[in-house]
Amino acid sequence: MIRVRQLSKIYTDWQHGDSIALDAISFDAKRGEIYGLLGTNGAGKTTALRILATVLAPSSGSATIDGCDVVQDPSLVRQKIGFVSSNTAIYDRMTAWELVMYFGRLHGLDQDLLRDRMEKLFTRLDMNDFRDVLGAKMSSGMKQKTSIARALIHDPPVLIFDEATVGLDVLVGRSLLDTVSALREQGKCVVFSTHIMREAERLCDQVAILHRGRFLAEGKWRELAEQHGYDDLEELFFALIREDRSVRSVDSPRESETQETTLSSTAGRLN
Amino acid sequence: MKWSNIRLIFWRECRDQLRDRRTLFTIAVLPLLLYPLLAISVFQVAQFRRDHPSRVWVIGAELLPPHPSLLSGDRFRAGLVDDATRQLIALGSAPPNWRQLSHESLGHRVQQEIRQGNVDAVVLFPHDFSDRLDQFNRQMAQRPPPNSTTLPHFSTVPEPTLFLNTANDKSRLAAQRTQQALQSWREEIVRAGLHSRQIPVTATRPFQVAHVDLAEAGRQQLAFWSRLLPFVVMIWALTGAFYPAIDLCAGEKERGTLETLLTSPADRREIVCGKLLTVTTFSSATAILNLSSLVLTGSLFFGQMNLVEGAQPLRLGAPSFSAVIWLLLVLLPISALFSALSLGIAAFARSNKEGQYYLMPLLLICLPLMIFPVLPACELDAGTSLIPISGILLLLRTLIEGDYLIAARYCLPVLGVTGLGCWLAIHWAVHQFNQESVLFRESERVGLRIGLKHWWRKRQDTPGVTGALCCGLLLLFIRFIAGSQATMPATWKEFVTSQTLVQVGLLAVPAVLFARLLGRRVRHGLLLRWPGYKPVLAGGLLAVCFHPIGMELTQLIHNLYPLSDAIGNQLRELESIMGPASLGTLLLTMAVLPAICEELAFRGLLFSGLRRSGSPGFTILTSSLFFGAIHGVFQQSVSAFLVGTLLGGLAWRTSSILPGILFHFAYNGLSLLLGLVLPIYLPSQPVLQLAFNGTEDSLRYHPLVVISGALACLAVGLWFRGIRVDTEPSQEAAGNCQDGSATDSLGATPVA
Repeated sequence: MIRVRQLSKIYTDWQHGDSIALDAISFDAKRGEIYGLLGTNGAGKTTALRILATVLAPSSGSATIDGCDVVQDPSLVRQKIGFVSSNTAIYDRMTAWELVMYFGRLHGLDQDLLRDRMEKLFTRLDMNDFRDVLGAKMSSGMKQKTSIARALIHDPPVLIFDEATVGLDVLVGRSLLDTVSALREQGKCVVFSTHIMREAERLCDQVAILHRGRFLAEGKWRELAEQHGYDDLEELFFALIREDRSVRSVDSPRESETQETTLSSTAGRLN
Repeated sequence: MKWSNIRLIFWRECRDQLRDRRTLFTIAVLPLLLYPLLAISVFQVAQFRRDHPSRVWVIGAELLPPHPSLLSGDRFRAGLVDDATRQLIALGSAPPNWRQLSHESLGHRVQQEIRQGNVDAVVLFPHDFSDRLDQFNRQMAQRPPPNSTTLPHFSTVPEPTLFLNTANDKSRLAAQRTQQALQSWREEIVRAGLHSRQIPVTATRPFQVAHVDLAEAGRQQLAFWSRLLPFVVMIWALTGAFYPAIDLCAGEKERGTLETLLTSPADRREIVCGKLLTVTTFSSATAILNLSSLVLTGSLFFGQMNLVEGAQPLRLGAPSFSAVIWLLLVLLPISALFSALSLGIAAFARSNKEGQYYLMPLLLICLPLMIFPVLPACELDAGTSLIPISGILLLLRTLIEGDYLIAARYCLPVLGVTGLGCWLAIHWAVHQFNQESVLFRESERVGLRIGLKHWWRKRQDTPGVTGALCCGLLLLFIRFIAGSQATMPATWKEFVTSQTLVQVGLLAVPAVLFARLLGRRVRHGLLLRWPGYKPVLAGGLLAVCFHPIGMELTQLIHNLYPLSDAIGNQLRELESIMGPASLGTLLLTMAVLPAICEELAFRGLLFSGLRRSGSPGFTILTSSLFFGAIHGVFQQSVSAFLVGTLLGGLAWRTSSILPGILFHFAYNGLSLLLGLVLPIYLPSQPVLQLAFNGTEDSLRYHPLVVISGALACLAVGLWFRGIRVDTEPSQEAAGNCQDGSATDSLGATPVA
């Protein structure tokens, strides 16, 4: 469903110079599977997902979604994905109902089908209580539910969640994870990025640990943990990060130091 | 592009804006309230307005003649000024010791007193003023001896002095009133003298000039509205476009909703078009509401003004119906232009706040173009119709004034220029929306130290786009400063010295220095490479073929925008000092030197940096703009810009400045020969007479030569396209930059 090969992204600007946000990553995510992208802030998760969502263009490499290339057929790709991120906000001066309808119509759904889907979605996500509330007056949970409804309205085969639980309380966070889990049951391909290891343990079938734009490990998390002799994902994650840092500092101390500074100072910008 | 998506985005954005209280206030509430409130305030203030009394001291008043008298108590005598003014001037005496002071000391004292607010002006009558005036009057009364042919001698009367401070409003007003009284008094003295000689008063003014105002009824009103309304419409169309554009682009970026929209199936061009339609709608609505409010308030207000006692009646009334229709029709292209410009700027801004900072520069750029048509004697003609914004304002003014024939004649160029402006602005806005570096600019902080360090370490063979732009601006700045300090050379030697200094010192040397500083390899930074003999030859040939077209274009530009007298005189002076120069030195100074130095700077340094953007259009147009701007005189700048695009094309194709240098040299050399040498040989050479038209002062190519030149240009161009250009390995690497995947070490990454 999702096929990524040697995907790289380099940002250049006055402040940071050249910073490698993604360094030739490759992975595959299948239908009915949740693929977890794990990493610290600035690891390159959002960059990777933005490229999949056709918002950014890759510097090199390729990515296809359901056979459509993100560079060659961006419009087709956008029809096939639903993108929810902590950065994708909702309109302050639109109600939940209006917003979902607007995106449904942008996806070309006809009026009857759209209304039917909206009714079902609003019921399923328990949104009927605030369907006429303006975005500016919604709580974080309401906003995130509206975002999910927006991403699901055209029933895309691929869903991308980029740190979607950031800023949500426990109840809403749990509800969101349940929704994501239910999407897997419906046969959707889900890419889920997070830096909360417990979420990944609970949800993901496959995980990739991303650090400074590179994959440190990829596979089923239990197998990876056993392979490295750890009990849980968090320990594995810390160990891999530590190992990577020490390897980089031996290989090229100056470059490592520079990149460390650059990437830590760009935290929040790249991710 | 899908129209349904554009329509959806448009309706959503409109609804969004209508739910925004700030936008509603700006487009609807403000105009509806602003003008009535302004009018009421002016009306109220006008009622409370009162004339300021003046205090004037008269030194030597006691010595003035009793008949005709100047003073009456502490006022000027009745009849010298109108009663109201007379009551406003309170006369007083200066301290007695002031009479002994010199003019200079007296001036200092008066200045002090004015500053302290004790007096507004002082009149000093010299001590012998009265006696000499009396003597003058007696001489006037004496009849000259009969048959006398010589004029009688009259003694001069020493002049009274009026001390005032023109920097002080009250002092200026007091002096004006006093001057009025003194003038009336002087006229009375003249009248008394004439009377004593039994000469009628009309002797000094045997006839008067009568005035007949031929303005048709309503034309004054039209003239007033035709200047005011287009200006108001422009200002509000710009303001009405700017704020929604900021909210729809920078605001969306700030709120995070832009990314949401970018992940929807709507194409970026559809997003831009939807937003553009919204901004245009709100811009037009703002202008229309302001216009309605202004017209309504204006007509009511001017009617009210007639009621104010003493005020001049302003019977302007409302503008005509046709004026309003023309305003509404022309409003659409105006709004579209400003909306596209605002959208491009707003897309660049990171936040609402940053976006608002860009309003002032945009206003400052547009304002002179809006004010220019309001100036007296500025009319719609072939030249002004091609000026963006000014052209459409003048067209609107012409339409409102009812000069439909003139409007019809220049309608197409005006709409063409406005349409082109719209297209460029929309193109720019779409380009901005495709720039990741623009869409995801988040950081407010500029890490100058890290940035410079990184740039120095990672700088490439040639400068980057930003580096090239900075160099261009710096070269312009240096040229401007040097130009403002330079004086007109008086001799040929001085001219050669100044030309060498400008070309070498202000263009070539800085170009080499910047190429060294901003790039690793000077030769690459200046595009100094051998592209093969054929491309160089093609450059020279192209110059020869293009010269007749270039001359015709120059002539056309001079017809559209005639040179001012001052610049015309300067150019003639320059031509006159070239007289003693030999052809060799002329060619060296006017053709060889500019060809090398200007090409090094514009097709070398600037071009090598700009071409890293990967866009030939941007590179060629921007380098040509700088090349045009450096020429200073507007008409020369336009010609240079056009020739610059051709030189840019050569440089883009060959990645070298050598064909450009040969082109530049050949073009300038031919112009010199045409101007200086041809007039000498033309009378004796029949072949030359076939090729050229016109008088000795303004020789032009025969139209057939121009057409042949155009065809030859085409042929050379086609041959040139087929020529194999030699490339070096490093040039191929630079060529990779042209596909858009390269990054600019100083600027943003052009991607997507």
